[in-house]
Amino acid sequence: MKLGELKENTQAVISSLNGDARFISRITSIGLTPGCRVVVIKNDRSRPVLLYSRDTMIAVNRRECEGIEVSEVTA
Amino acid sequence: MSTATIALLGQPNSGKSTLFNALTGLRQHVGNWPGKTVEKKEGTFTHGSDTYSVADLPGSYSMSANSDEEVITRDFIASGKADVVCILADSSQLERSLFMLADYAGLSAPCFLVLNMEDVAKEQGKTIDAAAIEKKLGIPVMLFSATDIKAYDKFYATLERALKTKAHINVSALEKEYEKLGGYSEIKSQLSENTLSGYTPMWLTVKVLENDKVVSAKLKDSLPGDKFGRIESLAKNGADAVATGECKFAWIDDILHGAVSGRKNITTLGRLDRIYTHRIWGKPAVVLTVILGLLGSFIPALPVMAVGSLVTVLQNAVGSGLTSAGYPHIIISLLCDVILQSMGYVIKMLGFVFGVTLVFGMLEEVGVMARISYVFDNTMGKLGLQGKSVMPFLVSFGCTMGGASGARVIDNWGQKVLTIALAWAVPCGAAWAIIPMLSTVFFGAGAPLIIVALLLTMLLHMWVTAKIFGRTLVKTEDRCGMIMELPPYHKPRWGALFKYVLGRTKDTFFRVVKVVLLVCGIFWVLSYGGSNESSILYKVGTAIEPVTGFFGMPWQLFIAFVASSVGKEGAVGVISALYSGSSYSEGFMQAMSGAARAANLNELLLANVTLPEALAFIFALTFNLPCVVALAATYQEIRSVKWTAKIALYYTATALVLACVAYHVGLLIW
Repeated sequence: MKLGELKENTQAVISSLNGDARFISRITSIGLTPGCRVVVIKNDRSRPVLLYSRDTMIAVNRRECEGIEVSEVTA
Repeated sequence: MSTATIALLGQPNSGKSTLFNALTGLRQHVGNWPGKTVEKKEGTFTHGSDTYSVADLPGSYSMSANSDEEVITRDFIASGKADVVCILADSSQLERSLFMLADYAGLSAPCFLVLNMEDVAKEQGKTIDAAAIEKKLGIPVMLFSATDIKAYDKFYATLERALKTKAHINVSALEKEYEKLGGYSEIKSQLSENTLSGYTPMWLTVKVLENDKVVSAKLKDSLPGDKFGRIESLAKNGADAVATGECKFAWIDDILHGAVSGRKNITTLGRLDRIYTHRIWGKPAVVLTVILGLLGSFIPALPVMAVGSLVTVLQNAVGSGLTSAGYPHIIISLLCDVILQSMGYVIKMLGFVFGVTLVFGMLEEVGVMARISYVFDNTMGKLGLQGKSVMPFLVSFGCTMGGASGARVIDNWGQKVLTIALAWAVPCGAAWAIIPMLSTVFFGAGAPLIIVALLLTMLLHMWVTAKIFGRTLVKTEDRCGMIMELPPYHKPRWGALFKYVLGRTKDTFFRVVKVVLLVCGIFWVLSYGGSNESSILYKVGTAIEPVTGFFGMPWQLFIAFVASSVGKEGAVGVISALYSGSSYSEGFMQAMSGAARAANLNELLLANVTLPEALAFIFALTFNLPCVVALAATYQEIRSVKWTAKIALYYTATALVLACVAYHVGLLIW
C-alpha cells in the first residue's frame, strides 16, 4: 500500500520508492529509505502526512506519498 | 598571525546560520555567487591572534545536484578554497542528520563534525559518546550547542585541531557497503585519483550510480570517449540512488551503534503541535501567530521609528534656521524637502523591517515556521508556493517591505521571488490608511463594497500573477511537494540573531537611501520651478492627459498615481498640492510623510474628480507597486535586477489596466 493510505498511529516499513532522480534524492536525504520503519502521526486529507522516522518528525506532501510504497506492521 | 578559511555545511535546521552569525557577528558580507541568484554569505572572526574567514555554504539537503545551491556547495568544497569544512548535524536526530556527512564522505577537503543542539538531545534523555564517533570516523567530532556562549571555546579548540590534523573521514566501512552494489567496483576501476581533482573515485562512482547529471558531464569532458561510454552503460545496469542511500544509512547506523544511548524520542505531539496540526484550528492558529508576530515586531521597531520622526522634526528646525540665516530657497528646499525628508521616511520604514526580520527570524529559528509550512502546504501549493509563503502575504497587509524581508525564510529562489511578486498585490498599511478615506468621500455608505471589490481583485490578481510568473519561476519539474522535517522546538540565540538582523538592516538602509534619494531628487527637479505652471511636472502632466484620461485619470490624479509608487502615504498629499494650487515641490516632498493634507480636501476632491475617475484612482493606487522602499527590499532579497524590474513594470502596467477597467465600469454605472 501507499504511505498516504496508512491510518494514524500505525507503524509501517517502507518497501520501495518510485519517482524521478530529484524525488529519490530528496526523500533519501531526509532518511526515508527501503527497510526504514515509520509511524504515522497525523493523516488529514487536506494536509501533508505527518510521520515519525529515524528520530525525526517529517511532513510529506500527499502527492509525494504516492511514490512511497509501504507494508504495515502490527505493533 | 595566520588565516584559514572554514566552510560551514549542514542541512536546514542544523543550526548552521546560528553558528555563522555567532562566529562572525557584524563582520559579514552578503553577495551573490558569480552568475547566480544564490546568496553568498561570508564573514570573518578572530580567535587569539588568528583571523579566520567563514563561508556559509547555501542550504542543501545532500551533496547531489538538484539545485543551484547544491551544485555551488559541492563545487566550492571541491575547489579546495576551504582549509577545512565544518559539517553540522543535529544531535537530537543523529540517525537522519548524519546523512550530509555520509554524502560528503569521499570528497577530498579535510573536515570535522559538529554535533549541534546538544541541549535538545540532553532534554530528550540521550547520551552521545562523541569520542566513540570520532574514533570510528577518524575526524575531530564534538558535541556543541550553538546557543550556548560558553561552548565556543570548545569549538575553537576543535577547529584548531581539525586545521592541524587535516583529517579525512575514514571511508573503509562505507566503501565495503558500496562494494556490494552492482556496477560499483567496475565503474570505480575506470577512475583514478586524478580523474577530477577534489573528488575521490569512490565518491564519483556513487554519484554516477545516482545518475548525477553534473558529475556525468564532468567525467565526459575529462575521460576518453570509450571509457566514458563504458561507465555509462555500467551505470545503466548498476545499482540506483535508492541503493546508495541504503548504504549510507547502513554506515550511519553502524557508526552510531554503541555511541548513542538513552530514551528514544516519544512519537506523540506536544501541546503546541497538537494545536498547529489540528484539522480545524491549525490555520487560525497560524494566522494568529503571524498577527502576533507582526504586532510583536513593533517592539524592536518603535525606537528606530522614533529616530525617523526625530529627523522629521529636525527638518522643520533646520528649515526655519536656514531661512532666518538668509540661505537661498533652493538650497533649503533641497536639504529639507529632499534629503532630510527622505531620510526620515526611510528610517521609519526600516524600523518596521528591522522588527519583522527579527521576529520572523526568531520564529524560524525556534521551529514555528516549519509548522506554518505544514499547515499551509496544500493551499499555497496550488499557487506553486511553499506553506511558508503565507507569512509574507499576511505581513504585507502591514508593510510590503516587511513581507519582502520576511520572504527570506523561503529556501527556494524561484518560490521566494514568486512569493514576493504576489505579496505586492496585498494592499499595505499605507494603502489601508487612504482607501477607506477616499472611498467614504466619494461613495459614502458604498465604501465597504469598494473594499470588498478590492479584496476580491487582490485574490484574482494573485492568482493571475502566479499563473503568469509561476511558469518560469517555479518550473513544473521543480515543483517538488513538501518533504521536510518539523524540528523539535528550541531556544533562539538572541544575540547572534540580533547582530545578524542589524547587519542586514544596515545593508538595506544604504540600498534604500540611494534609491529614495534618487527618486525624490527626480521628483523635486520635476516639480521645482518659479511658479507651478512653469514646472516640468505641470507641462508633462497636461501634455499626456489625453492618454491618461483613457485610464480614467486626469493629469493631477495620474501624477498622484506616479507619486504613489514612491510611497502610498504621499498620494493624498500630492492630490492636495495639485488641486489646491499650493507649491508643487513642497507639497510633493511633504506628501511623502503623509502630512500636508489640505483642510478642505474633501470639497477639493468632490469638486474636481468624478465618481468613475475616483474609482479608477482607488484601483490604480491600491495595485500600483507598493513603494520604492519595498522595491529596494525586494531587490535585496531576490538579488536579481531583471526580476525586480520585471515585477515593478508588471505592477505599473496591471494597475493601469485595472484602473481602466474600473473607470469604464464606473462610466456604465454613473
